[in-house]
Amino acid sequence: MSTMDPTEVFRQEASELFEVLEGALLDLGQRPDDRELVDSAFRALHTIKGSGAMFGFDKVASFTHEFETAFDRVRKGEIKPTQELISVALAAKDYIRALIEDPQSTDDIIGEAILDDLRRFVSSDRPSAPVAEIAEAPPLAPNESRQAGWHLYLEFESHILRNGSNPLDLLEDLCKLGPCFVVPVTDGIPFLDEMDPEDCYLKWDVKLHAACDKDAIDDVFMFVQDEMKLTLSPLAQVEAPAPAPLFQLLDEEPAPPAETVAQVMESAAPVAAPPAARPERKAEVASEPKSDIKPETAPARREDAKQERGIATVRVQAERLDELMDRVGELVIAQARLTQLASAGSDLSIKMIAEEIERLASSLRDTTMGARMVPIGSLFGRFRRLVHDLSRDLSKPVEFVTSGEDTELDKTMIECLADPLVHLIRNAIDHGIEDSATRAANGKTEQGRIELAAVHSGAQVLVTVKDNGGGLNTARIRAKAEEQGLIAAGAVLSDHEIHQFLFHPGFSTAQTISALSGRGVGMDVVKRTIENMRGSIDLSTRPGQGTIVTLRLPLTLAIIEGLLIRVGEGRYIIPLSAVEECVELTAEDERSRGRNFLNVRGNLVPFLRLRELMAASGAPDRHQKTIIISTGETRVGLVADQIIGNHQTVIKSLSKLHSDVTIFSGATILGDGTAALILDVAQLVAMAQSKVEKQHISEAA
Amino acid sequence: MNDGLAGEHQSGAMQVVMIGLGEEKFALDAGLVREIIDPVPVTKVAGARAFVPSVINVRGNVIPLADLRIRFGMPQLDNSADTRIVVIELELDGEPVLVGVTADKVYEVTEISQTDVQQTPRVGMHWKPEFIRFIAKWREEFVIVPNMERILN
Repeated sequence: MSTMDPTEVFRQEASELFEVLEGALLDLGQRPDDRELVDSAFRALHTIKGSGAMFGFDKVASFTHEFETAFDRVRKGEIKPTQELISVALAAKDYIRALIEDPQSTDDIIGEAILDDLRRFVSSDRPSAPVAEIAEAPPLAPNESRQAGWHLYLEFESHILRNGSNPLDLLEDLCKLGPCFVVPVTDGIPFLDEMDPEDCYLKWDVKLHAACDKDAIDDVFMFVQDEMKLTLSPLAQVEAPAPAPLFQLLDEEPAPPAETVAQVMESAAPVAAPPAARPERKAEVASEPKSDIKPETAPARREDAKQERGIATVRVQAERLDELMDRVGELVIAQARLTQLASAGSDLSIKMIAEEIERLASSLRDTTMGARMVPIGSLFGRFRRLVHDLSRDLSKPVEFVTSGEDTELDKTMIECLADPLVHLIRNAIDHGIEDSATRAANGKTEQGRIELAAVHSGAQVLVTVKDNGGGLNTARIRAKAEEQGLIAAGAVLSDHEIHQFLFHPGFSTAQTISALSGRGVGMDVVKRTIENMRGSIDLSTRPGQGTIVTLRLPLTLAIIEGLLIRVGEGRYIIPLSAVEECVELTAEDERSRGRNFLNVRGNLVPFLRLRELMAASGAPDRHQKTIIISTGETRVGLVADQIIGNHQTVIKSLSKLHSDVTIFSGATILGDGTAALILDVAQLVAMAQSKVEKQHISEAA
Repeated sequence: MNDGLAGEHQSGAMQVVMIGLGEEKFALDAGLVREIIDPVPVTKVAGARAFVPSVINVRGNVIPLADLRIRFGMPQLDNSADTRIVVIELELDGEPVLVGVTADKVYEVTEISQTDVQQTPRVGMHWKPEFIRFIAKWREEFVIVPNMERILN
């Protein structure tokens, strides 16, 4: 057993919290009045801050703290979370994430800028009245004689950072003495090429509005006194209200003492609240028994939630689950061999054991597969942010609706699905949804709508991306396809066939290339990714009403239900999910050598003779069977010698040396220990279709 | 490749598995060989390149079975009592790949002396020179040390 790096644990926990935070923020954009959301965002922030400090992510802790402070007014219900505010809050969230995941790549300046934005939004609608007081600032006794405070000028020696001192920490300590107005003096900063990243070039000009004595300030700089120049002068008079509430600024305007006390107490976090304030706060809580947003109750609730989670789930490394799945796969194969051996013999007790093991192995397989299942909602959450950002950047208001978040998929599939879905959603917003003016002209609601849904359908999961935009422009796709020489001008094609060109590499109908899409790289990649997962992709569109993209995916990548068939001497597996029906090849069909079409209840279905494809030796069986397979709309018959039955197929990928073989998607091991190949349904269908087309051409000629 | 050779030259001897294909003897670098197994039922892969015509099951892994005889233009003999499959591990495009190689006979694990290494002659060979790492002398016989990466790519 390997012990996990505590930092790694924190990172994982944080990434879950970020999802909660992001979800809450985005929801808040939709339902600004939902107090529960504000609270859950706050709880997430608070936990990030707490554990961040615990694991030595001091920057994270201090930034999150600032974030919390700025957001505090939202929590108190003083201001409404506007879209702009949410955007800034999301940027702040991203910054914290960057601080945790890749601290090297971040820059304090970015963080400062975000905080400034945040404060600006939070304070913009504020009258000249009270500025938020935060927890760490000791409440000032209101009737204490007012002293103007101090003006400090800090100049550190350039090597101070190398000794491990951080001027910012000192400034923070300074802030604890009272509200500070800090201005960095940037005169001494050299050009970038002359800059030594380990040197400190900044100086600071600080106005400390606090009635403390000089010793308190000296205490702050006690350990760096020798490495800095500190110029200290008392402020001549109370400065006019500081320009903007930058750093934990407390309003200095004279206020009636009682009011100030109340204000301080109201805003102070429970830990720092002076004991005298307690009873009053309690009374406040009592007076509003329903509200669960009191800061005092929040941490407790969070603890509860955490404990619940600790009992309900265990964190397991993904690789271990993969290993477990491999072992189970081998066990299933070994069990199949045992069953075969037992059925050949006559020993009853061995047969019983074999049955017992078969039952255990299959339930073990189900359990293991279940352990790898993850609800797709974790993936959907990510796209809300994407839609939010895109809708803002393109100024197309878009409503994003998801359903079926509980639908479970194998975790590897969830990972593989992320990129294709990003693409589809981008396309939907960029190309699908029209701009507001066009929508209004067409009598549609101004706000576009994108629906992302997942639903179980037999052994498959359907994921659909649906927009209510303009739909695909079939004529334009056609024109483009002709221009690129993919089809001859005037060729007769169904709309469905024309839409397939969208999956052609390098195909884009966007008239201008935008930052988002239009380069024609994408849909082909999406299609390939989905097909690699043994899924398929379908497009359907109604002009003026929108487009639906449907992804059909198998539940898992590791084990499938297969249909075992025999062709000559060889045995092959067809994924059962693709099999529609099995019919006998009639003598009539057999005779029509030239045509290769079946008549299935009045429909013409092309068929492929697997014997030819596999170059099977020996005489064919007298009664050939046809297995009808389908991908989406297309149906193709496969002619085999014998249908053996269904088979639990543990999928093994083919080696690199066989990467040029396209008609097989993988291999498996049969009960007798021999390898059998799994047919690639999509490839076979494509092959049959191209054969049909060739026939058309030769007939036309 | 060259670095590896130089290292082997210094150490003086190279551990090899001596296998027979048709009339010829080949020496496979013992470092590549994972195991030697009896013939198992093979599964033909339609559409695959001729020198990797099938796959086999080796301890739950489906691996390709290569036939060097095809690569060297030798006649394919039917399996005999001496036929073995030598499972080797190669680096192909930076990834380790297991491959089975059919051998008409496996002789022994032995050492060939680096001092006996002969440069591949430019003429007098009916095999592609890039398939051959070098030719060494072993018990008064010339044996071929094949370049498996090249042969299988």
